[in-house]
Amino acid sequence: MITQMKVRGLMFDPYNNAYIVILRDEDRSDMLPIWVGKAEASSISFALENIATPRPMTHDLMKAVLDTVDAKVISVVVTDMKDNTYYSKIHLMYEDSEYSIDSRPSDAIALALRTNAPIFANEDVIRKQASEELDQWLENLKPEDFGKYES
Amino acid sequence: MEHTEPSNELIQLTVHGVVADPNTETHIVILRDEQNTEVLPIWVGTAEGNAIRLAMEDIVTPRPMSHDLIKSFTEHLNMKVSRMVITDVKHNTYYASIHLVSKDSERTVDSRPSDAIALALRTHSPMYVTADVLKQRSGGKLDAWLEKLDVKHSGKHEA
Repeated sequence: MITQMKVRGLMFDPYNNAYIVILRDEDRSDMLPIWVGKAEASSISFALENIATPRPMTHDLMKAVLDTVDAKVISVVVTDMKDNTYYSKIHLMYEDSEYSIDSRPSDAIALALRTNAPIFANEDVIRKQASEELDQWLENLKPEDFGKYES
Repeated sequence: MEHTEPSNELIQLTVHGVVADPNTETHIVILRDEQNTEVLPIWVGTAEGNAIRLAMEDIVTPRPMSHDLIKSFTEHLNMKVSRMVITDVKHNTYYASIHLVSKDSERTVDSRPSDAIALALRTHSPMYVTADVLKQRSGGKLDAWLEKLDVKHSGKHEA
C-alpha cells in the first residue's frame, strides 16, 4: 500500500547540520521526515515558494531534459528505508511506456514539485521511521515549523 | 588567438581541477584547452563543485547524486548527451547549452556551466567553449587569482 504525501515543512536540523523535509499524508495521521543536504533543501524550498532563479537550477535542468522528449513524471514514491537511508523511485511515462528510476527522495521531491507530480510513500517506510529518535526530535520542533507550507 | 577567427569557433575543453576559493564559499572549476594554452576558471557553488569533483575522481556514491539521476534519465529514455558548449558570458555569469540527441534529432537545453560540466563528465561527452567567450574572460584578474590558488591541487587532474 502506498499513501499520498504532501510536503508540509522544511526545517534546519542543527544537530546534524542538515535539513529535514516533512512529508505528511492527507489526513495528517502519518508523517515522514526525510533528511536532505543543503543544496537539495534549497532546491525544494525554491519550488515550494515558487521562486524563479535567474539561471536554471539542477532540478530545473532535470525537468528541461525530460521536456525535450516529452517524458512525463507520473509520480514519485518513497519506497524503502535501510540504515537511515531512504530510497525512492521516479515513475516516468515516455512514448506509452513506463519507466521506474532509482533516486534519492530529495531529488524525487524536488522534481515532483516542479512537475506537479504526486508524491507517495510506501506504508512500510512510514511504519519503519517511527523511532524513539524521531519522537525526541519532534519534541524540539516549534509548531510554526510545521505550518509553513500548509496549502 | 587570431582576431580573424570566426566567433562561433568552438574550442574543446578539459577539466583540470576543482579548487576551493579561499575568499568565498564557492569552488572554482579550472578548464583548459587541449593545447594547454588557455585557462577558463568558472566559479560554481559548493554542491556543484562537489558533483564535478566526484565525477573527475570516478567516485561512486552509495546513492545516485542529482547529475547521476539526469544521466540515468538519458539512458532510460535512449537520449545521448552529444556535447556541452559554454556559449556566453554576461556580467560574470556564464551560460551553457547541453546538446541531447534522441532518435537522430538534436535538442539543446539551457544550463549553468556547472551542471553541464557535471553531466558531461558522467556521460563522457565533449565540452566546448566559443572563441568569443574565451576571449572575454578577464585576463589580468585571472592571473592574480591563479597565483593564489593551491597549485598542487589544481594540477591533480592533469591528463
